[in-house]
Amino acid sequence: MYVDRGRQISIAVFLLALAGVLLAAAPSFFSLGNFKDILVNISYVAIAALGMMMVILTGQIDISVGATLSICSTLAATASKAGLPLGVVFLISIGAGAALGLVNGLLVTRFKIHSIIVTLGTLSVFRGTLIYFTKGAWIYQLPEDFRGVGLGTFLGLPNPIWAMAVVLLAGAWVLSATPWGRALYAVGSNPDAARLSGIRVPFVQASVFVACGALVGLATMFYATRFSTIQSNTGQGFEFLVITAVVVGGTNIFGGSGTVLGVALGALLVGVTGTALTFLKISAYWEQALQGLFILLAVAFDALRSRRRTRTGGGG
Amino acid sequence: MQHVRLWIAVGAVALLGMAFAQKQITIAMIPKLVGIDYFNATEQGAKEAAAELGNIRLIYQGPTEGRVDKQIELIENFITAKVDVISVASNDPVAIAPVLDKARKAGIKVVTWDADANVRDVFCNQATFAGIGKALADEMAKQVGKEGEVAIVTSSLTAPNQNAWIAEMKKVLAKDYPGLKVVDTKPSEEDQQLAFRVTQDLLKAYPNLKGVWALSSVAFPGAAEAVQQAGKAGKVAVVGLSTPKQMKPFMKAGVIKSVVLWNPIDLGYLSVYAAKQLVEKGLKDGDKIVTKRGTFTVQKDDKSLQILLGPPFIFTPENIDKFNF
Amino acid sequence: MKAQPRLRLRLSVAELVLVGALALAILVMAQLSPQFLTVRNLFEVTRFVAEAGLISLGMTAVILTGGIDLSVGSILGLSAIITGVFFHAGWNVWLAALTGILAGTLAGALNGLIITRAGIPPLIVTLATLAIYRGLALGISQGQAYRDYPEGFYSLGQGYLGPVPVQLIVFALFSLVFVLLLGRTVFGRTLYAIGNNETAARFSGLPVDRVKLIIYSLSGMLSGLAGVIFVSRLSTAKADAGLGYELDAITAVVLGGTAISGGQGGIWGTLLGLFIVGIVRNGMTLAFINADVQLVFIGLILIAAVTLNQVLRRGRR
Repeated sequence: MYVDRGRQISIAVFLLALAGVLLAAAPSFFSLGNFKDILVNISYVAIAALGMMMVILTGQIDISVGATLSICSTLAATASKAGLPLGVVFLISIGAGAALGLVNGLLVTRFKIHSIIVTLGTLSVFRGTLIYFTKGAWIYQLPEDFRGVGLGTFLGLPNPIWAMAVVLLAGAWVLSATPWGRALYAVGSNPDAARLSGIRVPFVQASVFVACGALVGLATMFYATRFSTIQSNTGQGFEFLVITAVVVGGTNIFGGSGTVLGVALGALLVGVTGTALTFLKISAYWEQALQGLFILLAVAFDALRSRRRTRTGGGG
Repeated sequence: MQHVRLWIAVGAVALLGMAFAQKQITIAMIPKLVGIDYFNATEQGAKEAAAELGNIRLIYQGPTEGRVDKQIELIENFITAKVDVISVASNDPVAIAPVLDKARKAGIKVVTWDADANVRDVFCNQATFAGIGKALADEMAKQVGKEGEVAIVTSSLTAPNQNAWIAEMKKVLAKDYPGLKVVDTKPSEEDQQLAFRVTQDLLKAYPNLKGVWALSSVAFPGAAEAVQQAGKAGKVAVVGLSTPKQMKPFMKAGVIKSVVLWNPIDLGYLSVYAAKQLVEKGLKDGDKIVTKRGTFTVQKDDKSLQILLGPPFIFTPENIDKFNF
Repeated sequence: MKAQPRLRLRLSVAELVLVGALALAILVMAQLSPQFLTVRNLFEVTRFVAEAGLISLGMTAVILTGGIDLSVGSILGLSAIITGVFFHAGWNVWLAALTGILAGTLAGALNGLIITRAGIPPLIVTLATLAIYRGLALGISQGQAYRDYPEGFYSLGQGYLGPVPVQLIVFALFSLVFVLLLGRTVFGRTLYAIGNNETAARFSGLPVDRVKLIIYSLSGMLSGLAGVIFVSRLSTAKADAGLGYELDAITAVVLGGTAISGGQGGIWGTLLGLFIVGIVRNGMTLAFINADVQLVFIGLILIAAVTLNQVLRRGRR
């Protein structure tokens, strides 16, 4: 398993530079409350990004995650309002995500269609079906115990932060210490070699979509519960956020390499820039351009470094 | 006996009326976008009116994002489909004008509602930009006083209605409340999570912030949620537009004191009545539109005709329980 | 790596499936609405697909090399704003439009430069520039709309030559150029070679980086042109122009049978894909079918067409 730390260092350097600017221009950014808020706001992105990372590790992609998030939100809230216990609500959200992931996974492996096409299709099918059944109506007056999942705290820290930490640590363990986790890297680096070494490649390729869907379902529980209403059209553009977190965090878009730490840093980068720009009192009209630039800067350091390395390497 | 004769007469007139009016009218009604609560409420009102009137075939179809190019594509198709009325809440008054002009040349009546367009036969006006701008500015001054830092959470930075309200608000601020300083304007893109996050950021980046305007039915609950979770309920005012159903919990919790809005059900309802009358009898200055939800008067304006729904309504803890939309 | 004749056979199967799908779509839509199968309406369809279509041409070339360009919708918006800004600065409107297209070309060239020079994958680069270009459009315009162009300018997006919409002529012209460019030139063959095996293409001395730079610039130029047509059609330049067009274009390209990993496919497939989506959307709207159902259908068609293509291909082996 080849791991390149360059991207992580690159993002870390960028984040430190940003921190330096903030320290000089807006020291009030550095407060415990603000860090808590930032971590809570990225928690659902980071949990879903772990799932996306598993998909991308095998050389595939899932752009239906935003639609999955909105379906899981609607189902979970409906179930909770129907009076089902919280444990069941969790199972429904995770199960629905896994089921939608299974649809993607089966289409990809059974018909050998590239995942970008499958999930581009299921993205519209999922979203269209949801609006067809909900008629676009929103859900109000969510039960106390449901909201408590996202708003409650444990040992002084908000639940979503705990969830993110536990999920990412578990993910890191699964990816590095279990046969299934290692198989993802093998399938992504070289599917033929993986097959020869006895890995059931189609099973692995389908299973990552199920895992991704399930994690989006779990992320839903720490997203939908934080707000007073469930929008039936929620999660638009969520796929961009999640994919950005994963690929900026150094996961190779063609599969085979990437780390959970990178995903966490990627999610942090995605989540912190908007808040930082507000503290720096930059006009909102220029915010988007700067956020795009930050992504480039965060990967540029790594790119230039490896570029130099290959150049000198090529000479020798 | 007298009564029976009267009822027969009424019945005969009604039958006669139905025979004349029974031609079906197809109304293509296009909201700014589908899938948000506000435009679900206008749809509810429109359907109610269509059911009352009987001879209306109502098609309620809009883009999934509030974009004028998607609306234009829909309208082009509705012209081809030969509907009788195109009734639109326009995402851009100028960009949509050529296609509405084309519709009128094809003999289709054009009604605008919620947001006007430069070409139309009649505009069902829920409240003028100036009226809303002033209501929002006054409401803020009432809650936080005439001095201090305030911020705006808008829909998208290019949203025409919101931009027009902001311009009007700033005029009122400059004239009546020069001490209220707008420190920042943030977009929320019809996304509750984003509205929540930017409000949270504003509260921390501007510790002296006294109030936030939240200018869409999605931004308002998101902003209120952020103020509530930051424990600043009652310390930072949130003023904005939304539906009462959505904002009721925040009002009960003391996070907000008021909600500025017209009744969207009435608006959708009125637009269908106006469309029917426009097709069957035509409309002119001074005409009355009589409905079960009240009587509305047609007035001349600078483009053609408009029908005012009434001044923007301000929901307060005293009256909010009476409304269910 | 792959034998040339089989490649050609495969493409014809893919296109056959699409022609069948298109015929089926037309048949079904004609049943759904009496107004569908009229000359006027069919021309109308082309008016809506022209902008996304121009972008899809460039996207096809980009995807053929194994790359992707997610920034196309943002470039459209940026070009629209540049056109508006320069016109309102007192320039002649056509000169302003040319400047807008030039800005699009430069934006595309910048994508190409970063991809080839810094060696960052196209997906990451254009994911970043998607935000940058949209953000520039927003920052420059401060959310304002630029309007009031001279009457003559509207001919591009609203005018007709006889029954034919002007932008259809522009689109047809560029489609033809791209069919020839990709199918009949050394440049075109180089694209396929890069997509099939970039390392091999490099070793055989093909100017890989230069070709990539050119196609990303072309993609930017076409997005810029689409931006100008967009402004002319809507009489308005605003920073949200072309939002989400990248997904429309990618849908047309992959529905058209171009392999997302590069090396296989072509313009004819993309055109078929584009018109299938355009006709289904138009026909279903004419039949008053809601946008949610349309979404479901377009998604299903995408999956079904590609699946069928795949099954037939396997059958032939």
